[in-house]
Amino acid sequence: MLEDSARSLGKGSTPLGLVPEGLICICSMRFCPFAEKTRLVLKAEGIRYEVIYINLKDKPEWFFKKNPFSLVPVLENSQGQLIYEPAITCEYLDEAYSGKKLLPDDPYEKACQKMVFELFSKVPSLVGSFLRTQNKEDGAGLKEALCKEFSKLEEVLINKKTTFFGGNSVSMIDYVIWPSFERLEAMKLNECVDHTPELKLWMAAMREDPTVSALLTGVKDWQGFTELYLQPGGL
Amino acid sequence: MSEDATRTLGKGSQPPGPVPEGLIRIYSMRFCPFSHRTRLVLKAKNIRHEVVNINLRNKPEWYYTKHPFGHIPVLETSQCQLIYESVIACEYLDDAYPGRKLFPYDPYERARQKMLLELFCKILEYQNTTFFGGTCISMIDYLLWPWFERLDVYGILDCVSHTPALRLWISAMKWDPTVCALLMDKSIFQGFLNLYFQNNPNAFDFGLC
Repeated sequence: MLEDSARSLGKGSTPLGLVPEGLICICSMRFCPFAEKTRLVLKAEGIRYEVIYINLKDKPEWFFKKNPFSLVPVLENSQGQLIYEPAITCEYLDEAYSGKKLLPDDPYEKACQKMVFELFSKVPSLVGSFLRTQNKEDGAGLKEALCKEFSKLEEVLINKKTTFFGGNSVSMIDYVIWPSFERLEAMKLNECVDHTPELKLWMAAMREDPTVSALLTGVKDWQGFTELYLQPGGL
Repeated sequence: MSEDATRTLGKGSQPPGPVPEGLIRIYSMRFCPFSHRTRLVLKAKNIRHEVVNINLRNKPEWYYTKHPFGHIPVLETSQCQLIYESVIACEYLDDAYPGRKLFPYDPYERARQKMLLELFCKILEYQNTTFFGGTCISMIDYLLWPWFERLDVYGILDCVSHTPALRLWISAMKWDPTVCALLMDKSIFQGFLNLYFQNNPNAFDFGLC
């Protein structure tokens, strides 16, 4: 398994060949929270995969053929089939592979996980905006908005009375929302969970999960990446 | 549209009782394209259901117990389970009810339909068969249909004049028994639109006695 040691591919790089039988390939970027969802599912389900890193500021010409949105993550299997959009890639992996199932079989429980994902849906863009914000006032407004979104999730945990969003063990919904929470510490947004104790407990429980801890990025690494990434023309 | 030709419930109305065993309830509005998706799936799969129309400008207080922001559509089962967001509701129905499956069985084909939905605005590049999922009508066609039915009423069907594949799809869709059964009457829909843009709360019941 080619893991996080490979440099990213940029303009002028050679297009990838066919994906070998028995493997699935993910086009990713080491610090991308969206690609992380798919990597968590790949790891949790024990699927054999290879990772190709894409330089998102200098994309290879061939990458646009993999995904018309030219974003990561993209999955490519040995039949040349391409799957993109984070939530779709995660569901695809759960359906296509016969190992550990992360989505519940029960139609209503499955729908519940998707409804929780909808509740969470404003979080990534709020976190992204906070990252890019220059002034303190905007930052404060974004923090407040984030707290509001977090209390919706807190309510779910309170009503369910379980540690995780899908029950008492970790499942799909926990993995797909985790990447935003992983970044809170590095972005100094931990205070946003001060008034949501169940959510705070969930975060601690997630850090104990072997799949999550295997893919954790160090705070310093993440901050270093962000500094360069936000510079105009950086990376 | 006879199944959902009932007056809307608004502020001050009594909440409907529990959903009878063997039925599923949809909270809807006759002219809403999102509810239309779910009604298409209910019809296509022959699912026994009852419709409760909600007055969207004058929502009943009790409706917020069905959806935190009072959105439609919402499905309610006889076990008091609530499912909302039109695409989630459509998927739930396909999973929970036997008979005709609208989503394909193959995981890649399922993923492909979901990616198509994401590309709603860029659909033209991705249609290479009569229907969006292949040679037969399936989930993705029903999910896209409501907007195209309205194009005709909005009078902007001209925007598909340069896209013969799409025009063919529209004609093929109008032959489908499920689409036909739910086709809106043009003049009734126009009447609704007129009142709606005037912010008239009677808009939602336009065309009913």
